[in-house]
Amino acid sequence: MNPDDFRYHKEHTWVRVSGKKGTIGITDYAQDALGDIVYIDLPELEESIEANSEISEIESTKATSAVISPVSGKIIKVNEELSESPEIINEDPYGKGWIAVIELENAGEADDLMDSSEYEKYIEEEAK
Amino acid sequence: MKLTIVGSGPGGYVAALRAAQLGADVTVIEDDEVGGTCLNWGCIPTKTMIASCDVLAKVRELDKFGLELSGSVVPNIMKIVERRNKVVGIQIRGIRGLFKSWGVVLKEGRGILTSPRTIEVALKGGGTEKVETDCIIIATGSRPAKIPTLPFDGKSILSSTDMMKLIDIPKSLLIVGAGVIGCEFACIYRELGSEVTMVEMLDRAVATEDREVSELLEKELKKKKIKLMTGVGVDRAEVRGDGVHAFLSNGSELVATQILVSVGRTPNSDNLGLESAGVAQGKKGEIVVNERMETNVPGIYAIGDVTGGLLLAHVASRQGLVAVQNIMGKDEVFDYSVVPAAIFTSPEIASVGLRTHQAEERGIKIKTGHFEFRGLGKAHAIGEISGFIKIIAEEQTDKILGCHIIGPHASDLIHEAALAMKTGRTVRDIAGTIHAHPTLAEGIMEAAEDVHGEAVHVPKK
Repeated sequence: MNPDDFRYHKEHTWVRVSGKKGTIGITDYAQDALGDIVYIDLPELEESIEANSEISEIESTKATSAVISPVSGKIIKVNEELSESPEIINEDPYGKGWIAVIELENAGEADDLMDSSEYEKYIEEEAK
Repeated sequence: MKLTIVGSGPGGYVAALRAAQLGADVTVIEDDEVGGTCLNWGCIPTKTMIASCDVLAKVRELDKFGLELSGSVVPNIMKIVERRNKVVGIQIRGIRGLFKSWGVVLKEGRGILTSPRTIEVALKGGGTEKVETDCIIIATGSRPAKIPTLPFDGKSILSSTDMMKLIDIPKSLLIVGAGVIGCEFACIYRELGSEVTMVEMLDRAVATEDREVSELLEKELKKKKIKLMTGVGVDRAEVRGDGVHAFLSNGSELVATQILVSVGRTPNSDNLGLESAGVAQGKKGEIVVNERMETNVPGIYAIGDVTGGLLLAHVASRQGLVAVQNIMGKDEVFDYSVVPAAIFTSPEIASVGLRTHQAEERGIKIKTGHFEFRGLGKAHAIGEISGFIKIIAEEQTDKILGCHIIGPHASDLIHEAALAMKTGRTVRDIAGTIHAHPTLAEGIMEAAEDVHGEAVHVPKK
């Protein structure tokens, strides 16, 4: 199940907003579609990023895929643990598999994204 | 026909053998060792070191292959160098043996043209000898380019040739220039345990390749923890007690045990008597030749690195064959349109023909096909899934204009595309050819199929 308090981007990334900070990662649907993840090119600290732009790249045994940021802001923390053990994303995409924490440029930006029920409908449509 | 060749690298020795096979009376003048830079300081010795590194890299992931090791594997640079010298020695004896077999006379010493038909050889053993000849091929090669801000001292600031004399693994290595040579050495010494940083003036590594190839290589370098700084130069360097301090154009300072300067190569055209023979040179000192490999002086030809252009051993060899054909009364020109090239980084890179940006610059309408090695069972079986194959075709004719590969065995795979280009084949010719399974070459077929959106092993888009 996709957590209710997260917001979802159509490129299968999520953001969990807490005050002026947003934690981001890829969705369960994305990790499942990618298959076994073998590498993630983590974003750089202090990097300014824009919503809908590529912030990272994930390699699985099947594909290489861009991670699209759901929000704009500055990277203030990255999950270094993923560089040694990228498979954590497969195991726990909404928890230990978070990718980065962003200082949000505009906390309201996430409101425009899908909520969990909208995202579930969206992926049902995608699957058709 | 009396033919005299100055230089015995991959240009000179190949030309000598072919000319002898065609019945010429051939003399080769060499002031170092037969085989030139390629065999003694370049292609072959670096590849033997890379072979050691490849084994080491595999050993580091033994568990992935279900193997266990009791104890550890440690690179012994002295033994790696010993093996390297042995391999080089075999090739040197091979060339000398072929010379003997075909009756090519080798004169060891420095050859200087005193007229368009005479060369004076300052023999290694002392004394001089005058060689009278009908034709001359100059094949003297090139040497590492010097930059005034980073003068080679053979100890702390090194050229690629100096690197071949190293008998230890530097704790840290700063490489100035992320071209072919810089990137190969970066991969070698990183695997052996050095901390490696590269600085490059241009905006990307291996900037002569297709941009997508550079991007993937940069990611692979990052995985190895090789640091690459682009758009940066080195203003000056100072050798101090704790290493060489390099002061970068962006204001920062780096300290390394040693610096490798790999910023290109300079043609060996000085002190050859070119002026006395009246041979014309270009701005960088390169000997100017036409596509028949003729200089401005009738009877004097030049081939390989000394002519500038593409500094590749196999280009020099082919130019040597072209020159010999023309000398022996045939009519042949060098075809620059299909020149495959390989870079022995990890993963390997190989390319032939147009890059995407070149097609754009020339206003050629193209379509491209891609295939990732991770889509192949064979790539998974050998544990090397990073990389891709890209095929560029002309939109209207479907003819293959270029192929770019980064990934396992790229240097061997490229030739299918090269042959297709040389013979004017289309994408459908490759896609319609059965490729054996399971092989990496299946990726070429899939990339060709992808040009028309018909690759089988890709998810629905």
